[in-house]
Formats: sequence, structure tokens, C-alpha cells
Amino acid sequence: MMDHDEALRIVYDAIDVVNRQLPASKRLHKSPDTVIVGAGGSLDSLGIVTFVILLEEKVGEAFGTTVQLLDEQMLVEDSPFQSIGALTHYIATRAM
Amino acid sequence: MSRSERLYFIADFNVETLARYVANTTLADAETALAPPGPIMPALAAGPPGPDWSAVVWTRPETTIEAFRRALTCHEIDLDRALDEVRAYAAAIAQFAARARSVFVPIWVSPPFERGLGMLDYRPGIGQAQLLARMNLALADALRNHPSVFVLDAGRWFASAGSRGWSQKLWYATKSPFTSAVIEHAASDIGAALDGIAGRARRLVMLDLDNVLWGGVVGEVGWTGITLGGHDHVGEAFADFQRALKTLAARGVQLALVSRNDEATALEAIDRHPEMQLRRGDFAGWRINWEDKARNIADLLAELNLGSESAVFVDDSAIERARVRSAIPDVLVPEWPEDPARFREALGSLRCFDSPFLTGEDRTRTTMFAAERSRRSGLVAVASVEEWLESLDIRVTVEPLADGNLDRAAQLFNKTNQMNLATRRLSKPELEVWAAAPEHCLLTFRVCDRFGDSGLTGIVGLRFEASEAHLVDFLLSCRVMGRHVEEAMLHVAVAQCRARRASTLRAEFRPTARNNPCLDFFRRSGLRAAAAAVENVFIWNASQPYERPRSVTVLDQTGVATALDP
Repeated sequence: MMDHDEALRIVYDAIDVVNRQLPASKRLHKSPDTVIVGAGGSLDSLGIVTFVILLEEKVGEAFGTTVQLLDEQMLVEDSPFQSIGALTHYIATRAM
Repeated sequence: MSRSERLYFIADFNVETLARYVANTTLADAETALAPPGPIMPALAAGPPGPDWSAVVWTRPETTIEAFRRALTCHEIDLDRALDEVRAYAAAIAQFAARARSVFVPIWVSPPFERGLGMLDYRPGIGQAQLLARMNLALADALRNHPSVFVLDAGRWFASAGSRGWSQKLWYATKSPFTSAVIEHAASDIGAALDGIAGRARRLVMLDLDNVLWGGVVGEVGWTGITLGGHDHVGEAFADFQRALKTLAARGVQLALVSRNDEATALEAIDRHPEMQLRRGDFAGWRINWEDKARNIADLLAELNLGSESAVFVDDSAIERARVRSAIPDVLVPEWPEDPARFREALGSLRCFDSPFLTGEDRTRTTMFAAERSRRSGLVAVASVEEWLESLDIRVTVEPLADGNLDRAAQLFNKTNQMNLATRRLSKPELEVWAAAPEHCLLTFRVCDRFGDSGLTGIVGLRFEASEAHLVDFLLSCRVMGRHVEEAMLHVAVAQCRARRASTLRAEFRPTARNNPCLDFFRRSGLRAAAAAVENVFIWNASQPYERPRSVTVLDQTGVATALDP
């Protein structure tokens, strides 16, 4: 299992990259409560997919492992992508 | 001086991520638009949204060139057919470019995981990599005579991103195979190109000395004790950095020194150390003293007649960097690595020097600045400025716009800020079209004196309407300002008016943040201000010639002193 702080750092690194593609008013705040997918989220479908594949790459780079995050779970209720906090927990528990 | 850019994207993949990055980070005030999804050729035929739009045309080779697609599936390579297809594609781009401001075409690349035929991949007639290289060269060759089209080396973007530049997963999910790492490099290069075209490229690098051009503190160890060159990896790194700076100077970027040191000690090192790649003559100027560096930079910029937005400052001290950033925010102060082995890479990664032209004036700019130092030292020795100017033997050669001076004229149009009446920014094709109109007259001015040749440094553009002539453009490089070349240009402009029987010459000054020196000149030029209600308009009654300044000889393009006035 990955250290929570390390998972959070990876999520924030990916947010930095995606934010550079967004107008200032739509940039994601680096906060556990920030919504990624769902009501109140500012990413469109291209932004979400770009963000998730970027996360997969960064997890792979950091831990020499592969995780598959881009799947149907992204869009269901209680998705781990609902907030940055939930996503960080999901990555920390999935990346072995 | 900056203006909002408009950038249109045509691609055979989902290019929206690039458009978003450009609009939100690279050029934050840019307007972007995407061509409708679909085949490339109809999008090229439809043209850009308007003539003031630039465009990026980015395609994949296997969807653009059928012969290449067949080669990828191990069919026999038909080089002639592939190159014919490339030329047809280039012709479509050229037609599109005639309706756009500028066009950027990234070269074709293959995914890093495609090994083609391995050891045979560069064999002519067999290898896919060899075919792709030939196609890219043919594309660049076919577009070489279209000055507003720039073929960009996308290979560097992928090399910088490494294996992470290309994602099949991203392709399957979004129809864009290029990751954010490549997109960011692409956007930065496109932004740098647009900056260069708009005249926003940096023109001066100001350098610290100790632990930047050499290792160690020369004031403590003397010139024989500094680390530079020789059989030492650190010394090699400093010498290599100096060579990279010298190459940059050959592109037309000036070098200067701003260092806390004893001047005589530092200059002795520059003059005498056998491994110095840069000598005193390579620097446009210097401030080597114990004063505040921000003040020294401001003084040096004033001496060189350059604005702070033209300059880059390199210093190994984080404190000095912070001081200059805070005091003169327009100066670009890059973060600088501690390890000298990374200096060359740090310099090479700066994207602020890109220019759409490389002219003879660029290559000899250092010599010109050295000549200027000689001129200024002469000023101290003579009694008055007028005597000094007469001693310079200034000659101004007047030529119409022609193929041989078009590059430099367009460059001057897009770089000149201070002595610039209207600050029109025109691309090369726009300039050619404007100058070709029968009611227009565009003249260039080359300036030389006994110290050297300053090159093509002035432009006058006139528009004739009935009995009135309008001075549309009046621009002069800061490097020759204040030597009565301005008056010589007005002398020639009025002579043109008289030759075409215009009764008045009318000059309308259009203010910018930087061109106040031009307004000052026109106020003292002898042209009369128009009615008080009409601000910044100056008139000359062309029934009278405008006197040529005594210290300037005006020559025609054959080098013969000319009495231009009819």
C-alpha cells in the first residue's frame, strides 16, 4: 500500500498539469474536498480522461508499477473520482 | 506592443488539449479555434477564419501520405509516390498560408515503440524511418520559399518527453496520441515562434562572471586561478557554456556583463585567460563594479538603447536573481542550476530568442556594438556633439524594398519600438503586398560611418493620396538614433513628395508605451504641428525641401551621393 502523503503528492502533480489546460476560473484547487467527477466538477470528459491517464503514468513512474484507473468506476455513484480526498485514498490502496 | 494572438488548429487527431494549453498558459490572452473534425485537405482549402489568424497544421504521416501508410504494412516502398504526395500536401499548406498570418507545421514523427525494420530501418528503399526522414525533408524543401510557413522540429518535443510522450491509451480514449508532456513542449515552441514573429524575442543576455562564465572568484584567486577549460570536467563545462553563448551571439543576441568585481581584474581575466571563449569584443557592454546589479542593468539597457523586456539576466546567486526580478520585472531572470554541467542545457532550453529571420545584421551585431563603443569614446575627445557627428563621416544609402533586403526590413518592422511612428507590425508577405501598391512608396536606409556598417536600420513608408503624402511608417533602429539619420530620412521622404508632386507631407504619431522618443523627434524636427485640436499630427509644406543634415551624406543604391530633391 502506498503512503497517503505520497499518493496525495502524485494527485497534486497531475492537477498542476491539468490546470495549465484550464482557464483560471476553472482550475482545480488542491484540496481534499475538490470535486473531480460529478456535480460541481470543472473538468469535461476530455479533461477527466487526460487527468486519469496522467495519474496512471505518474503512479507508474513513482512506484514502478501499473495501475488501471480509467474504467467505468469513474462515472458511477460513489466513484473514487468524486473528490481529491477519495481519489488519494483509492490510489494509496490500489498501488502496491 | 503585445497583441492578442489568434490561433487556428487543423489536425487529424484531437488537438483540443494543445489549443487549451496555448489559450490558458502559453499565450494567456490568445483566441483559439479548431477546424471541424474531418479530412485535412478540405480544412486547408477552406482557409483560416480570417487573415489575422495564425495556424498550426499538425498531422500524422500515415493518414496524410498514403504511400507511407502502405510502407507501414510492409508493402514495397514507393518513394517517388510518397514525395509527390508530400509536395501536394505542401502546396495545399502554401495556399492556406496565403490567407493566414503565419502557419506552423510540426514534422512527422513515429511512435517510439515502433521499431520498424530494426537494423534495416534506415536503409533506402526498405526502411520506414528512412522514408519518413525523406518525407520530412521534402516537406521542408517544398515550403522553404513561403516565408510565413515554419516547419517545426517536433522530434525535439518527443525526445524531451522520452517514452512518456506517446500514449496509445490516450489515443484509444481521446483520439489524441500525444501526452501532456509533448503538448507542453509543442505549445511552448509555438508560443516562442509567435513571440519571435511579433518582435517579442529577447535580444540581450546579461551575465554574471564568477561561477557563471568561469569557476571561482577572480578577485580572490586572480585570472590564473579561475576554473575554465583544461582537463577538468568543471572547467570544460564553463568553456562549453561560453561557446554556447558565442553561438547565441552569432544569431544576433547580444551579450553583456553585470558583475560585482573589480573591473580591471575581471577584464584582465577576459583578455588573458587562454581558455576564454568570449573576449572583450564579444560583449556589447558591461558594468563591472560594486554597485547594485538592478541599477547597473538599468544603466546598461539605457546605454544600449534597449528596453527591459529585451533582456535576460543570468546569475548564480538566488539573492541577485530575486533582486533583479523585483526591481525590473520585465527582465527575464531564469532559475539557474548550481551545477555548471547543466549551464549549457539551461541556456538552450530558454525559448525567448526565436526569430523568424537570420539576417546579416544579426550575425555582425556584436561588431556593430564594438564600433559603437569606439564612436562613444571619440565623443569624449571632441568639443561638441555636432563636431563629433561630422567626424563620423555618416553615409546613408537609400534603397527601395527588394528581395535582398526584405528579411531585414520585416525584422525591423517587428522589432523597432522607440523610433517608430505608427508601430505597424507586418509580416514579410504583408510588407511585400503593401510596398507593391502603386500609391505606396517604401524606402529602406542603410547606415555606415568610419567605424563600421550598422546595416539596414531605417524605413520610411509613404502613401500618396491626391496632393497629400502620408508618412505611414517612420522607423529607425535604436542603434543609430540621435546621429541625424532621422533628419536624413525626412529629407528623403520630402524629396519623394516633391518628385510625386505632393503638396504636403503629413505624419501622424500613434503612441505606444515605448515610442515617446519618436514623438520627441517630430516635435523638434521642424515639421509644424497640425491644428491644436489635432494631437500628434505634423505637417511639412512640400513646396520646400527638407534640409539634409550637414553631417550625413545620402547615397543611392549604387553608392553615388545623390541630390534627391528635384
